[in-house]
Amino acid sequence: MVRSTYEKRVARQLLLILSPSLLLLLAFVIYPAVYSVYLSFTNEALTGAAALNPRFVGLRNYSRLLHDAKFWNSLFVTFVFVVGSAIIGQFVLGLISAIMLRRDLAFKQLFSSIILLPNAAPEVVAGFMWISMLAGGENATLSRIVMFFGMTPTDWLQTFPLTMIIVVNTWRGIATAMILLTAGLSTIPSEVYEAARMDGANPSQIFRRITLPLMMPTILLYMLISAVSTIAVFGLVYALTRGGPGGATEVISIYIYNQSFTAFQLGYGAAVAVVALVISLILGIAYVRAMKVQV
Amino acid sequence: MNRTALVGLCAITLSAFATLAQAETIRIANHGQAGINAMKSTVARIEKKYGITVEVVEYPSPDKDYMTKLLTELGAGNAPDIFSAPTTAYVADMVAAGYLAPIGAEFKAWDGYANFYDVAKQLAVSPDGETYVMPFMLGIQEIYFRRDVLDKAGISTEQPKDWADLLARAAEIKEKTGAYGLLFPAGVSWGTGAFDEGFQHLLVGSKTPQLATEDGKLDLTGEGVKDVFGVYKELIDKDLMPTQPLLGPEPWVIPKYQMFPEGKLAATTCGSWCYIFDWGRESKNPIPDVEKVVGTWTIPGQTGGQYVLANLAAPWGVNAKAENLELAKKVLMEIGSVETQVSYAVQIGNIPASKAAAQDPEFQKLTELVPIHAAAENGVYLKQAAGFATVAEGVARATEALLRKETDAAGAQQILVDYAREILGEEAVK
Repeated sequence: MVRSTYEKRVARQLLLILSPSLLLLLAFVIYPAVYSVYLSFTNEALTGAAALNPRFVGLRNYSRLLHDAKFWNSLFVTFVFVVGSAIIGQFVLGLISAIMLRRDLAFKQLFSSIILLPNAAPEVVAGFMWISMLAGGENATLSRIVMFFGMTPTDWLQTFPLTMIIVVNTWRGIATAMILLTAGLSTIPSEVYEAARMDGANPSQIFRRITLPLMMPTILLYMLISAVSTIAVFGLVYALTRGGPGGATEVISIYIYNQSFTAFQLGYGAAVAVVALVISLILGIAYVRAMKVQV
Repeated sequence: MNRTALVGLCAITLSAFATLAQAETIRIANHGQAGINAMKSTVARIEKKYGITVEVVEYPSPDKDYMTKLLTELGAGNAPDIFSAPTTAYVADMVAAGYLAPIGAEFKAWDGYANFYDVAKQLAVSPDGETYVMPFMLGIQEIYFRRDVLDKAGISTEQPKDWADLLARAAEIKEKTGAYGLLFPAGVSWGTGAFDEGFQHLLVGSKTPQLATEDGKLDLTGEGVKDVFGVYKELIDKDLMPTQPLLGPEPWVIPKYQMFPEGKLAATTCGSWCYIFDWGRESKNPIPDVEKVVGTWTIPGQTGGQYVLANLAAPWGVNAKAENLELAKKVLMEIGSVETQVSYAVQIGNIPASKAAAQDPEFQKLTELVPIHAAAENGVYLKQAAGFATVAEGVARATEALLRKETDAAGAQQILVDYAREILGEEAVK
């Protein structure tokens, strides 16, 4: 009986301690998400008659999505963007950086500072900086470099828009990947490597048979964080291309913005946002299952 | 106890005074440094005349970003008391949303009303017959062409008679000079410009010159709509118009500020401000002797005639939820004064909607604008209807499909119709 009272008191204290966080989550995460789902069933708009008298339209927004070529295009662009920048670019370069930083390199501190620098610049500032480097004409940085090698300069954001935003997002995300993967590498005991070397394993075998398998939980955790956060990337792409040219870089976050705040169709924009949320949830569940971690 | 009560009473009194003082503040939304500069003397005059404080709230400069912020605030009920819409196309929808207070009675009773051009007064009238905006400036677009480039190549600089003549001239320019022959703004990135600065100018001279029907619906299935898209199609397919820059994030920069001054684009639609700001004395990349080197054509009709299409430039309105509506409306009338109109003409290059501006010494100094101001007397206009902002976005999407060579004129029209029906509902579109 006494124990039960104690437990009740602890439970009350825990609730009290957690309540500010719960309230914040409710106000800024749960409520907006639920409200977005509600909006997606209406024709709510920022202007026009629907702004004055929005009405319930059932599944009309979702049915419209199915036939909207621009929506499917944005899903495809998002897929390529996530795979190109988060899964391949940031992961590979982040892993290489993490492995290199474990060694006794000259200028190791300088190297790690350089990798961390992209995160110091705000997203939009970084976007404008890259615009100046990738712009058309002979004065842009990349054009100067290719001209030095005798190649013809071009307007890189026009000619290779999706590739360019993948490169820029990779540049920006390497630091996060490196930090997470360094943490993962540090959990592998050095004795395991020593034993492998004594057994005659070469560096490639050590990497494939020891480093990768032992780092798999960290890698999957990184993939989850990276994929979900890359789906939500907005400022960088908006500053660089605004989704153009011709929808070539219209990732789903830009598409949601365009529907909600350029075409002013909040209801339809909310429907797209709900789909993006569902995709992120599915990804999250898939990764969590792959990690075999109880959440 | 008495002391506490006294302190409480003082606090309540101070709070009441503070509230009263706040009620005498009018908040005005403005965007773009030129617009803010143009309003400076007006703000000072209003503050002196009415003994109030005018707070100018600076908004993002690009029209799209400005409208996004303004409409979000209007929807949330915390927008400024007075604001402008970038173009006529937004007004009917803002009226339908209940954002604008009617000003018809005050506008007609105002002593400046009689001097306004008829086209400005008519453009300000909403589909319900009420006036909600002060139509103080007009945007008048024409085709600006490089006279020097055409003269050098032996190409006629006479006013084109009809669309066929205009297209033939563009083809001749391309053939003889290698320069692009003609640009009409197009594509999603140009925003409402695809409609405001291109499409509607051709439409008023087409076989079906209006989109709004008598019953307030939109008729987008007219033959004229398809024919206008046909003009775009021909310009794009024959490579008479630069297309690649129009697909970028700031599509006007390369054609208007690089290609036209370099003579690589020989003709483009542009507003009255272009002589001053795009290529003239206020430009960062001016064309020497711009008034001699660059000539203008009015936009020809499909089978003949010339059309001076007027649009409202930054029409101002009063927030329907303004705390002090009467005061806000009085301030709006001050914004409509000839003095403010001329200040805007000086700073931005738009055309004053009042005929009285012609007598203003400051306006007479703007020699580039004086003849365009006079031409507004014969201005024509598109009747407004709710959904015009959607039509503008639909035209942007349709012309983007043309730019990407994904469709033909009929297909572009279908994109416009489908988009309008999706957004506005079947009942709003004929």
